[in-house]
Amino acid sequence: MSVEVEVNEDDLAEMVGQVWESYLDPEGINPLIPTYDEHQPSEVHSSVSINGSWTGHLVYACSTLAARRAAAAFLAMEPDEVSEDDMSDVLGELANIVGGNVKAMLPPGALLSLPQVVLAPESSARYPNTERIGGVYGLWEDEPVSISMWHSRAENSEEDGA
Amino acid sequence: MRAMVIDDSRAMRMILKRIVTKLNFDAVEAGDGKEAIDLLADMPEVPDLALIDWNMPNMNGLEFVIHVRADPRLREMTLVMVTTESEQSQIVRALAAGAHEYVIKPFTEGAMIEKLALLGLVPTGANS
Repeated sequence: MSVEVEVNEDDLAEMVGQVWESYLDPEGINPLIPTYDEHQPSEVHSSVSINGSWTGHLVYACSTLAARRAAAAFLAMEPDEVSEDDMSDVLGELANIVGGNVKAMLPPGALLSLPQVVLAPESSARYPNTERIGGVYGLWEDEPVSISMWHSRAENSEEDGA
Repeated sequence: MRAMVIDDSRAMRMILKRIVTKLNFDAVEAGDGKEAIDLLADMPEVPDLALIDWNMPNMNGLEFVIHVRADPRLREMTLVMVTTESEQSQIVRALAAGAHEYVIKPFTEGAMIEKLALLGLVPTGANS
Protein backbone atom coordinates (compact mmCIF):
# COMPACT_ATOMS: atom_id res chain seq x y z
CA MET A 1 0.00 0.00 0.00
CA SER A 2 1.30 3.47 -0.78
CA VAL A 3 0.47 6.78 0.81
CA GLU A 4 0.49 10.42 -0.13
CA VAL A 5 3.71 12.12 0.85
CA GLU A 6 3.20 14.40 3.81
CA VAL A 7 6.43 16.34 3.41
CA ASN A 8 6.23 19.61 1.51
CA GLU A 9 8.92 22.03 0.38
CA ASP A 10 8.53 24.16 3.51
CA ASP A 11 9.24 21.09 5.65
CA LEU A 12 12.24 20.27 3.52
CA ALA A 13 13.51 23.85 3.77
CA GLU A 14 13.18 23.72 7.56
CA MET A 15 15.19 20.49 7.73
CA VAL A 16 17.86 21.93 5.47
CA GLY A 17 17.96 25.06 7.62
CA GLN A 18 18.63 22.90 10.68
CA VAL A 19 21.52 21.19 8.90
CA TRP A 20 23.02 24.57 8.06
CA GLU A 21 22.54 25.82 11.61
CA SER A 22 24.05 22.68 13.12
CA TYR A 23 26.99 21.98 10.85
CA LEU A 24 27.51 24.19 7.81
CA ASP A 25 26.77 27.65 9.13
CA PRO A 26 26.60 27.60 12.94
CA GLU A 27 27.46 31.31 13.05
CA GLY A 28 24.53 32.15 10.80
CA ILE A 29 26.57 34.15 8.30
CA ASN A 30 26.49 31.91 5.19
CA PRO A 31 22.95 30.58 4.76
CA LEU A 32 21.68 28.78 1.70
CA ILE A 33 20.22 31.53 -0.49
CA PRO A 34 17.15 30.24 -2.37
CA THR A 35 17.24 30.32 -6.18
CA TYR A 36 14.11 28.23 -6.77
CA ASP A 37 15.92 26.85 -9.82
CA GLU A 38 15.51 23.08 -9.99
CA HIS A 39 17.74 22.98 -13.06
CA GLN A 40 20.81 24.52 -11.47
CA PRO A 41 24.01 22.62 -12.25
CA SER A 42 25.79 20.18 -9.98
CA GLU A 43 29.06 18.26 -10.10
CA VAL A 44 28.57 15.72 -7.30
CA HIS A 45 25.57 14.18 -5.56
CA SER A 46 24.48 11.76 -2.88
CA SER A 47 21.20 10.02 -2.20
CA VAL A 48 19.31 7.82 0.20
CA SER A 49 16.33 5.69 -0.71
CA ILE A 50 13.18 5.33 1.35
CA ASN A 51 11.14 2.18 0.97
CA GLY A 52 7.94 0.94 2.55
CA SER A 53 4.91 3.07 3.29
CA TRP A 54 6.41 5.60 0.87
CA THR A 55 8.96 4.86 -1.81
CA GLY A 56 11.37 7.37 -3.26
CA HIS A 57 14.72 9.06 -2.95
CA LEU A 58 16.26 12.09 -1.31
CA VAL A 59 19.06 13.59 -3.40
CA TYR A 60 21.68 16.12 -2.26
CA ALA A 61 23.54 17.69 -5.19
CA CYS A 62 26.08 20.48 -5.34
CA SER A 63 29.23 21.77 -6.95
CA THR A 64 32.56 20.19 -6.06
CA LEU A 65 33.56 23.38 -4.26
CA ALA A 66 30.39 23.36 -2.16
CA ALA A 67 31.05 19.70 -1.26
CA ARG A 68 34.62 20.57 -0.37
CA ARG A 69 33.46 23.45 1.84
CA ALA A 70 30.86 21.24 3.51
CA ALA A 71 33.47 18.60 4.29
CA ALA A 72 35.79 21.27 5.62
CA ALA A 73 33.04 22.56 7.91
CA PHE A 74 32.21 19.08 9.22
CA LEU A 75 35.82 18.06 9.68
CA ALA A 76 37.09 21.40 10.97
CA MET A 77 39.80 21.66 8.34
CA GLU A 78 40.68 23.95 5.48
CA PRO A 79 38.91 23.29 2.15
CA ASP A 80 42.22 22.59 0.39
CA GLU A 81 42.95 19.84 2.93
CA VAL A 82 39.77 17.94 2.06
CA SER A 83 40.17 14.65 0.18
CA GLU A 84 37.68 12.94 -2.12
CA ASP A 85 36.99 10.44 0.65
CA ASP A 86 36.17 13.32 3.00
CA MET A 87 33.78 14.84 0.44
CA SER A 88 32.11 11.48 -0.16
CA ASP A 89 31.68 10.85 3.54
CA VAL A 90 30.12 14.24 4.19
CA LEU A 91 27.90 14.14 1.10
CA GLY A 92 26.59 10.77 2.26
CA GLU A 93 25.96 12.02 5.76
CA LEU A 94 24.13 15.10 4.49
CA ALA A 95 21.76 12.94 2.43
CA ASN A 96 21.37 10.61 5.41
CA ILE A 97 20.48 13.41 7.82
CA VAL A 98 17.92 15.09 5.57
CA GLY A 99 16.55 11.75 4.36
CA GLY A 100 16.18 10.47 7.89
CA ASN A 101 14.22 13.53 8.89
CA VAL A 102 12.01 13.21 5.81
CA LYS A 103 11.34 9.59 6.71
CA ALA A 104 10.31 10.65 10.20
CA MET A 105 7.51 12.73 8.69
CA LEU A 106 6.16 9.82 6.66
CA PRO A 107 3.68 7.27 7.97
CA PRO A 108 5.26 4.40 9.94
CA GLY A 109 6.68 1.55 7.96
CA ALA A 110 9.31 3.31 5.87
CA LEU A 111 12.94 2.20 5.86
CA LEU A 112 15.97 4.35 5.05
CA SER A 113 18.86 2.96 3.01
CA LEU A 114 22.51 3.65 3.62
CA PRO A 115 23.65 6.61 1.48
CA GLN A 116 25.10 6.40 -2.00
CA VAL A 117 27.57 8.99 -3.25
CA VAL A 118 28.52 9.72 -6.85
CA LEU A 119 31.22 12.22 -7.72
CA ALA A 120 29.37 13.16 -10.90
CA PRO A 121 26.50 15.55 -11.68
CA GLU A 122 23.00 14.77 -10.52
CA SER A 123 21.96 14.91 -14.16
CA SER A 124 23.93 11.71 -14.74
CA ALA A 125 21.74 9.83 -12.24
CA ARG A 126 18.64 7.91 -13.22
CA TYR A 127 15.86 7.03 -10.81
CA PRO A 128 13.58 4.81 -12.90
CA ASN A 129 9.83 5.36 -12.62
CA THR A 130 10.18 8.33 -10.32
CA GLU A 131 9.31 11.99 -10.51
CA ARG A 132 10.74 14.95 -8.67
CA ILE A 133 8.08 16.15 -6.25
CA GLY A 134 9.89 19.02 -4.64
CA GLY A 135 13.14 20.43 -3.50
CA VAL A 136 15.20 23.21 -2.01
CA TYR A 137 17.50 24.92 -4.48
CA GLY A 138 19.99 27.57 -3.60
CA LEU A 139 23.43 29.07 -3.52
CA TRP A 140 25.76 28.56 -0.60
CA GLU A 141 28.65 31.01 -0.77
CA ASP A 142 27.79 31.43 -4.48
CA GLU A 143 27.96 27.68 -5.14
CA PRO A 144 24.89 25.65 -6.18
CA VAL A 145 23.33 23.25 -3.70
CA SER A 146 20.06 21.40 -4.12
CA ILE A 147 18.12 18.91 -2.04
CA SER A 148 15.29 17.21 -3.88
CA MET A 149 12.71 14.50 -3.26
CA TRP A 150 11.78 11.91 -5.86
CA HIS A 151 8.68 9.75 -5.57
CA SER A 152 8.14 6.38 -7.19
CA ARG A 153 5.77 6.81 -10.12
CA ALA A 154 4.72 3.16 -9.80
CA GLU A 155 3.30 4.01 -6.39
CA ASN A 156 1.49 6.99 -7.82
CA SER A 157 -0.13 4.71 -10.37
CA GLU A 158 -1.27 2.36 -7.60
CA GLU A 159 -2.74 5.33 -5.76
CA ASP A 160 -4.64 6.25 -8.89
CA GLY A 161 -5.93 2.70 -9.09
CA ALA A 162 -4.03 2.04 -12.31
CA MET B 1 36.21 9.73 31.58
CA ARG B 2 36.16 7.76 28.36
CA ALA B 3 33.74 7.92 25.46
CA MET B 4 33.25 5.73 22.42
CA VAL B 5 31.89 7.33 19.25
CA ILE B 6 30.25 4.83 16.90
CA ASP B 7 29.19 6.09 13.48
CA ASP B 8 29.90 4.97 9.92
CA SER B 9 30.47 8.59 8.91
CA ARG B 10 33.98 9.78 9.72
CA ALA B 11 32.74 13.36 9.59
CA MET B 12 30.08 12.67 12.21
CA ARG B 13 32.61 10.85 14.38
CA MET B 14 34.84 13.93 14.16
CA ILE B 15 32.02 16.24 15.23
CA LEU B 16 31.07 14.05 18.17
CA LYS B 17 34.68 13.51 19.13
CA ARG B 18 35.26 17.27 19.18
CA ILE B 19 32.34 17.72 21.55
CA VAL B 20 33.27 15.00 24.03
CA THR B 21 36.95 15.94 23.93
CA LYS B 22 35.94 19.48 24.85
CA LEU B 23 34.21 17.94 27.86
CA ASN B 24 37.46 16.21 28.85
CA PHE B 25 36.54 12.73 27.65
CA ASP B 26 39.18 10.53 26.08
CA ALA B 27 37.46 9.41 22.89
CA VAL B 28 37.82 6.29 20.78
CA GLU B 29 36.06 5.75 17.45
CA ALA B 30 34.37 2.83 15.77
CA GLY B 31 32.82 2.70 12.29
CA ASP B 32 30.00 0.30 13.17
CA GLY B 33 28.63 -1.79 16.02
CA LYS B 34 30.78 -4.80 15.22
CA GLU B 35 33.98 -2.78 15.29
CA ALA B 36 32.87 -1.22 18.58
CA ILE B 37 32.31 -4.62 20.16
CA ASP B 38 35.70 -5.82 18.98
CA LEU B 39 37.33 -2.71 20.46
CA LEU B 40 35.45 -3.10 23.75
CA ALA B 41 36.62 -6.70 24.05
CA ASP B 42 40.23 -5.50 24.04
CA MET B 43 39.74 -2.57 26.41
CA PRO B 44 40.80 -3.07 29.99
CA GLU B 45 38.45 -0.27 31.09
CA VAL B 46 34.93 0.08 29.76
CA PRO B 47 34.08 3.59 28.47
CA ASP B 48 31.67 5.64 30.55
CA LEU B 49 29.72 6.74 27.48
CA ALA B 50 28.91 5.49 23.99
CA LEU B 51 27.40 7.75 21.32
CA ILE B 52 25.78 5.44 18.78
CA ASP B 53 24.46 5.97 15.29
CA TRP B 54 21.54 3.76 14.25
CA ASN B 55 21.99 3.07 10.54
CA MET B 56 25.38 1.47 10.04
CA PRO B 57 26.66 -1.47 8.02
CA ASN B 58 27.63 -4.80 9.63
CA MET B 59 25.92 -4.15 12.97
CA ASN B 60 23.50 -1.28 13.48
CA GLY B 61 23.15 0.82 16.59
CA LEU B 62 20.11 -0.96 17.96
CA GLU B 63 21.85 -4.33 17.67
CA PHE B 64 24.85 -2.83 19.45
CA VAL B 65 22.66 -1.59 22.32
CA ILE B 66 21.06 -5.02 22.69
CA HIS B 67 24.48 -6.66 22.70
CA VAL B 68 25.85 -4.28 25.32
CA ARG B 69 22.86 -4.69 27.59
CA ALA B 70 23.29 -8.47 27.49
CA ASP B 71 26.93 -8.22 28.64
CA PRO B 72 27.35 -7.73 32.41
CA ARG B 73 30.85 -6.30 31.89
CA LEU B 74 29.41 -3.39 29.91
CA ARG B 75 26.46 -2.74 32.20
CA GLU B 76 27.68 0.61 33.51
CA MET B 77 28.23 2.20 30.10
CA THR B 78 25.81 5.05 29.34
CA LEU B 79 24.34 4.61 25.87
CA VAL B 80 23.15 7.57 23.79
CA MET B 81 21.67 7.04 20.35
CA VAL B 82 22.67 9.81 17.92
CA THR B 83 20.69 9.27 14.78
CA THR B 84 18.33 10.50 12.09
CA GLU B 85 15.83 7.83 13.17
CA SER B 86 13.43 10.25 14.78
CA GLU B 87 10.12 8.41 14.66
CA GLN B 88 8.60 7.92 18.09
CA SER B 89 8.35 4.16 17.56
CA GLN B 90 12.09 3.98 16.86
CA ILE B 91 12.91 6.07 19.93
CA VAL B 92 10.77 3.77 22.06
CA ARG B 93 12.53 0.71 20.59
CA ALA B 94 15.95 2.10 21.40
CA LEU B 95 15.05 3.13 24.93
CA ALA B 96 13.34 -0.21 25.55
CA ALA B 97 16.47 -1.99 24.37
CA GLY B 98 18.52 -0.10 26.93
CA ALA B 99 19.61 3.22 25.49
CA HIS B 100 19.64 6.00 28.10
CA GLU B 101 19.12 8.99 25.83
CA TYR B 102 18.32 9.86 22.25
CA VAL B 103 19.72 12.71 20.17
CA ILE B 104 18.30 13.38 16.72
CA LYS B 105 20.52 14.56 13.86
CA PRO B 106 21.03 17.33 13.04
CA PHE B 107 22.04 18.52 16.49
CA THR B 108 23.95 21.56 17.69
CA GLU B 109 26.89 21.24 20.01
CA GLY B 110 24.86 22.95 22.73
CA ALA B 111 22.01 20.49 22.39
CA MET B 112 24.36 17.54 22.66
CA ILE B 113 26.04 18.96 25.75
CA GLU B 114 22.65 19.58 27.33
CA LYS B 115 21.70 15.93 26.80
CA LEU B 116 24.96 14.75 28.34
CA ALA B 117 24.45 17.14 31.23
CA LEU B 118 21.06 15.59 31.89
CA LEU B 119 22.86 12.28 32.19
CA GLY B 120 25.28 13.76 34.70
CA LEU B 121 28.21 13.43 32.32
CA VAL B 122 29.08 17.12 32.01
CA PRO B 123 30.42 19.47 34.64
CA THR B 124 27.88 22.16 35.49
CA GLY B 125 28.17 25.18 33.21
CA ALA B 126 30.12 23.41 30.47
CA ASN B 127 27.68 24.69 27.86
CA SER B 128 27.90 28.31 28.87
